[in-house]
Amino acid sequence: MSAVTLAAPPRARRRLPDYTPWLLISPSILLLVALIAFPLLFALKNSFYFWNLQMGPAPMGFIGLDNYKMALSNGMFLGSLWTTLQMTLVGTVVEFCLGLAIALLLLRRLPGIKLTRVLLIMPTTIAPIVVGFLFRYMYDPNGGLIPWLLTSAGIPLPAAGLLGSPSTALWAVLFADIWQWTPFFAIVLYAALLAVPGEIVEAARVDGVSPWKQLLHVKLPLIRKTALIVVMLRFMQIFNTFDLVVVLTKGGPGTASRTLGYSLYQAGMVDFNIGLSSAMTWMMVIIVNAIIGLFVFFAFKDWD
Amino acid sequence: MSGFDFNISRRGLLKSGIALAGTAAIGGGLVPRPARAADTTLRVLLAGDPFYYAIEGLKDQFQQETGVKLQIEAISLEALQARLTSSFISNEPDADVISVDQMWLGQYLESKWIHPLNEFIKADSDTHIEDFIPEVLYSMNTWRGQVGTLPVAAYGQMVLYRKDFADKAGISVPEDGSWTWEQYLAAIQKMHGQDFDGHKMVGTVLAGQQPAPIVHMYSQLAASMGTRWFKDFPAGTPWDFQPTINSPENLAALKLFGDLYKNAPAESVGYNWFDAGMRFAKGDIGMFYWWTPYAYLCKKDGYMSGKDSVVADKLGMARLPKGPGEQVVSLGGHSLGITANTPNRDASWQFVKWATSAKTQKAMGLYNKYGYQFSDFARPSLYKDAELLKIYPHLTAQLGDLERGNGKVVRPPVPVYTTLEGIYGLNLNKVLTGQLTPENCLLETSTFFETILKGNFLIPYQQASYDDTLAATEALMKSLA
Repeated sequence: MSAVTLAAPPRARRRLPDYTPWLLISPSILLLVALIAFPLLFALKNSFYFWNLQMGPAPMGFIGLDNYKMALSNGMFLGSLWTTLQMTLVGTVVEFCLGLAIALLLLRRLPGIKLTRVLLIMPTTIAPIVVGFLFRYMYDPNGGLIPWLLTSAGIPLPAAGLLGSPSTALWAVLFADIWQWTPFFAIVLYAALLAVPGEIVEAARVDGVSPWKQLLHVKLPLIRKTALIVVMLRFMQIFNTFDLVVVLTKGGPGTASRTLGYSLYQAGMVDFNIGLSSAMTWMMVIIVNAIIGLFVFFAFKDWD
Repeated sequence: MSGFDFNISRRGLLKSGIALAGTAAIGGGLVPRPARAADTTLRVLLAGDPFYYAIEGLKDQFQQETGVKLQIEAISLEALQARLTSSFISNEPDADVISVDQMWLGQYLESKWIHPLNEFIKADSDTHIEDFIPEVLYSMNTWRGQVGTLPVAAYGQMVLYRKDFADKAGISVPEDGSWTWEQYLAAIQKMHGQDFDGHKMVGTVLAGQQPAPIVHMYSQLAASMGTRWFKDFPAGTPWDFQPTINSPENLAALKLFGDLYKNAPAESVGYNWFDAGMRFAKGDIGMFYWWTPYAYLCKKDGYMSGKDSVVADKLGMARLPKGPGEQVVSLGGHSLGITANTPNRDASWQFVKWATSAKTQKAMGLYNKYGYQFSDFARPSLYKDAELLKIYPHLTAQLGDLERGNGKVVRPPVPVYTTLEGIYGLNLNKVLTGQLTPENCLLETSTFFETILKGNFLIPYQQASYDDTLAATEALMKSLA
């Protein structure tokens, strides 16, 4: 006689209270408030006070928008903003283009490609401070590798060296950043390209579409979402560049390579002007969010 | 099977825990335990200059003498300032004894972040306060009649040059300092571009990096030529912070500094303190003036490398050139202070006293792990010590310049000094790169200074002033001896 196993009748589902979802996400919200919102709100409050640790350990009174006026009055903030925007735009575009080119090369079955893939990620794993020191030696006018390569190629160099000339210092800093972060673009875009269905590319090839047009009209549209996100991330990172500037040029010569990140460090951690640096922080937050907001609005509007 | 039943309820566990914690808390509070030196470990946070290596090498001696253990850490000056400020603001003790730069002294004392040392010194005759160079204590360690720190490494500035090259170029360097800045420039111009020893020689080298290095170097020349930063500070009452930096004396000095740069490696526009010193040590520079530790640092081919540089046995040293008025020498260096939030006040004082004593300072000078790398004494008695003079022949010239030192005039410790230095350094750097003329540099700097000083309520100065003079420091030393 076969034994019949009866399934247990389903238990009546208890309805959870309406506040349960809120209860479940409240730890995350609290953590977010503690880690992000509180420091920002604290900085906002400080930005309206005169608080300079060189003058006294505590805030010395409410001064309204004076810190914002001071930041904008001497040209330092706006000058640094212009330098930062140049560096960010050029850096993002160059790193994206080079990264895409490397990613396309990685797709080919070239000899040594596996080793290349492994080595490629290494610059990204080095701390920016270390990269800074490395490039300081490489830019040394007395025997550095880069000046030697450039002079060997017949390219004239400024007498004060690449880091010592106002016309080249910023680009020398940016070159170090490009060296470090182009592989990041390459790896991410390579992963996205791997996900492009082979039959679509094959169909385009059979239809006689040139490789260049395949890239523009087939591959790039298919990896667009990944590309836009990685461009946005790098834009924000380059906008906040600080470590490379500190090690390579200290913002100099003059203000040639003074980024917003460095100006903020100077005001907060060297001059200890908490009020002024808080005001600069908030202006930076507003500028970055405005740029990213516009980017997201136009780039992501047809994603759904 | 064990007959011992160890079932415990959660409630029981909680009760026991609370009882235990309560007992520990009450017991810990009520039963005093005598503090023994052997139990004490002092945390010492220093700037990573040469004196640190000597102290680190000798720290066992302190432990043998007192039984107190030392945990010494050295970091860069900028990192030190940031870390200390953060520790004081949050009242999280970070160290017991700290390096205090002379520019931070007023801020630290007025914010009650460090202990004034007057009472310690008064109670301890073996501090031998009278055996400090008064100019050093005045420049580095006193603020409004209080000794806030004691000097562990005192730096002046002096001229270093290659003797063999100077001889070949037909230049005689007056080691007693009987020369002018114009003569110094002429000597450098004569050296610049000459072939020597198979090298094209460069006249001089500058520390041109902004903000601090260029200000440290330029302010010496400017003060020597008669420049003063403010109308009345630190001497004179009431204090008047009206900037006097845009003056004919400073313009002459800045033009001369520009001429020096024309005879220096172009890349020295980005050199910091050490870059400038090590460039001289490479052997292709004729002459430069810089902080006195470079008298021994330049004898080595790298920082604490222990290996001799190519100029080690060819190094000449001379007193600084003079301007039209009385000579003023920049005084800087490092001093030790006791943090206000230390639980080990007395042990900290023992360490400060030990590290700044004549005995320890001499031992630091004789410490030879990396070659002899410390001669920054703040006590005149050590400048006459035969054993030290044999190792550091430049001590006589060094003392001569220290005794003409006035750090409070060359780089005045105004409460917003770091901000002013940031502006001054930036504009001086722009003069070297050709982005500003000397005239516009001084005009712009003066305007910025005034804006910042007014913005920080220093013009007009409404707090109590203090007539901070060398005589006041000498009187203070007498009263504490």
